[in-house]
Amino acid sequence: MTFRAAVSVILSVSIGVVWIIESGAADVFLEATRPDFQRIPLGIAAIENAGGSESPEGRVKLGTRIEEVLKADVRRSQVFALVDLPSLGIKVAQLGAEPDPSFKQAAENGVSVIVWGKAGIKNGSKDADLSMDGYVYDTGSNEVVGGKRYVGSTSVARLMAHRFADELVFRYTGEPGIARTKIAYVSELGTARELFVMDYDGYEPRQLTADGFLNLMPRWSPDRRFLVFTTYRNRNTQDIDMIELATGKRWTLVAQGGLNITPVFSPDGNALAYASSHEGNAELYRLDTRTKAVQRLTTNAAGDLSPSWSPSGREIAFTSDRGGGPQIFLMSADGSNVRRLTFDGDYNAAPAWSPRGNWIAYVCRTPKKEYKLCVITPDGQKHLQLTAGLGVDDSPSWSPDGRHLVFSSTVDGKSQIYMINADGKDLERITFVGTHNSAPSWSPAS
Amino acid sequence: MKTLPASYLPLILGIIVLGIPSCSKKAVRSGGDAQALQEEMARGEMAKGGAKGGASSSFPDTSFSGREDANSLRGLDRNPSEERLGGNGGNASSQGGAGRANGVIAKADSGAAARQLAEIRAEQVASVAAGLRDVFFTYDSFSITEDGRHALSGNAEWARSNPYAQLKIEGHCDERGTSAYNLVLGEKRAKAVRNYLVELGVVPTHLSVVSYGKERPFCTEHTEACYSQNRRGHLVVKTVK
Repeated sequence: MTFRAAVSVILSVSIGVVWIIESGAADVFLEATRPDFQRIPLGIAAIENAGGSESPEGRVKLGTRIEEVLKADVRRSQVFALVDLPSLGIKVAQLGAEPDPSFKQAAENGVSVIVWGKAGIKNGSKDADLSMDGYVYDTGSNEVVGGKRYVGSTSVARLMAHRFADELVFRYTGEPGIARTKIAYVSELGTARELFVMDYDGYEPRQLTADGFLNLMPRWSPDRRFLVFTTYRNRNTQDIDMIELATGKRWTLVAQGGLNITPVFSPDGNALAYASSHEGNAELYRLDTRTKAVQRLTTNAAGDLSPSWSPSGREIAFTSDRGGGPQIFLMSADGSNVRRLTFDGDYNAAPAWSPRGNWIAYVCRTPKKEYKLCVITPDGQKHLQLTAGLGVDDSPSWSPDGRHLVFSSTVDGKSQIYMINADGKDLERITFVGTHNSAPSWSPAS
Repeated sequence: MKTLPASYLPLILGIIVLGIPSCSKKAVRSGGDAQALQEEMARGEMAKGGAKGGASSSFPDTSFSGREDANSLRGLDRNPSEERLGGNGGNASSQGGAGRANGVIAKADSGAAARQLAEIRAEQVASVAAGLRDVFFTYDSFSITEDGRHALSGNAEWARSNPYAQLKIEGHCDERGTSAYNLVLGEKRAKAVRNYLVELGVVPTHLSVVSYGKERPFCTEHTEACYSQNRRGHLVVKTVK
């Protein structure tokens, strides 16, 4: 398939992607990203409001809020197809710890899983502890296969929903789910740009730095404890810093003069790849995080930047303008075996290797000179354009399950952060506050 | 374009006077010997970073063992026991503080932003007083245009007649393209400006370059008029070391 063919298809169907479907049966446990994977029909009967379930703001009851968050999580999981139970005539009048008699009808309507529960302030609790019970009924076995009981302050109501959603994904795929993951990003405060972290759905933003100048392009450590990023010390020199999320403690990892940009940890956390121009022009380097030894990976008169590790850690994709405009290249993690990956268009940059290894997302400049998201297989055989339309798209970052991408775009005017499925469907804006939100980095799963 | 209120004039003079001692000391010590200055700077980097090559030796181990932690899922249970969720980091913890490592602190403003803003204003004032002119670039390009050469000849004259001044050359880009690649492009622009000033006789050690890519735009509209304002080599008189 040619690039132009892909583009014309995209333009004709708005946002979408032509997947090349390979033969072979779908395997729910390993291949839930496959296009022929059948989502598991799941209905959420209700998260009932138990006694004392007023939320602190008093507008939405806590059970109702948890139900809304849970439904959004289930919908985004791409593992389940969310079924509207009332429209199937399935009544959910009586809900206890036992399945409602009406659940039996669900199987006849093709529903595989029914979830229900209740939430409210615990009786007699002085600390206003929120308690949530959730249950899972499987129509195949016609029984309650299990449940969860969470307690915590009312401030963790969303977290209860996220954690329960991840348990559902874990139960049916063996994967941890992404509902508890976080996104690090850059947000503008006045003329400064500072680091923030939010939940994967855009809620609960928290500011991490208050330096008053520029902090750029955060990336997570594999254990989710740290972020690495570029900081401008005294506005005049670029260093690479690391911040510990739990404490705010900071370390300077690279301070060499010149550009020091696009740091990224290897999947095992034992190395940091980054670009630095301290020896002339931007080259890639590898810092051993245990011995602290630095190894130069590229030697070229052109700019090399934006390294992204393959999931095995054996290869690195990167941007280089050694051919004139920026293109995506691959190399072994020791800098050997360099070869060019992208050949369509005169501007391809910011590669992000999927955690599943099968795609590399990047920013491509279209024939209309728009900057959009593209994906390409590491062998270069297939490449597709994921987004279309106006606005500059930038900084693609994969969810740990490889089913979603998060990226920044100016499609609505100011730069904001968006989520999209790996097949180009379900574009969703996730930041709404602030004049500029950019450089999203999706955390590993836990 | 930029105007300079009369009330800023005493501030400018103060900045210029204050700037002289530290600059003159460095100028005398380097004695035009770029090598010596670079070595001195390299020693400073090592003292700050604590290791050769500019990499710090003091940061904690980031190796990932992949082991289960307090945050891991526990599975559905027919008779579920109570799981306490705490903190703002999205953790489950069975006992007290477990899972704290994944919490996220919220950083309070330490006054750094106000300090940075004051320093940026001081630089602006000093730069306007010096009459420095910026250089503009065409799309995707880092070549100095005829207009740019004209602007730089005036800047070079100022720099030669103010030998104690340190000039910072900022490379800027318009919003099109990726953040990362624009940082590289911004550096190419800043270095093109520096190289031309050196050709015109400005002492290299009086010049420093920094790329801001598209992160500090002068104009935020999505128009070519705005883009052309942002593709710039911006010259600044350094007022802080």
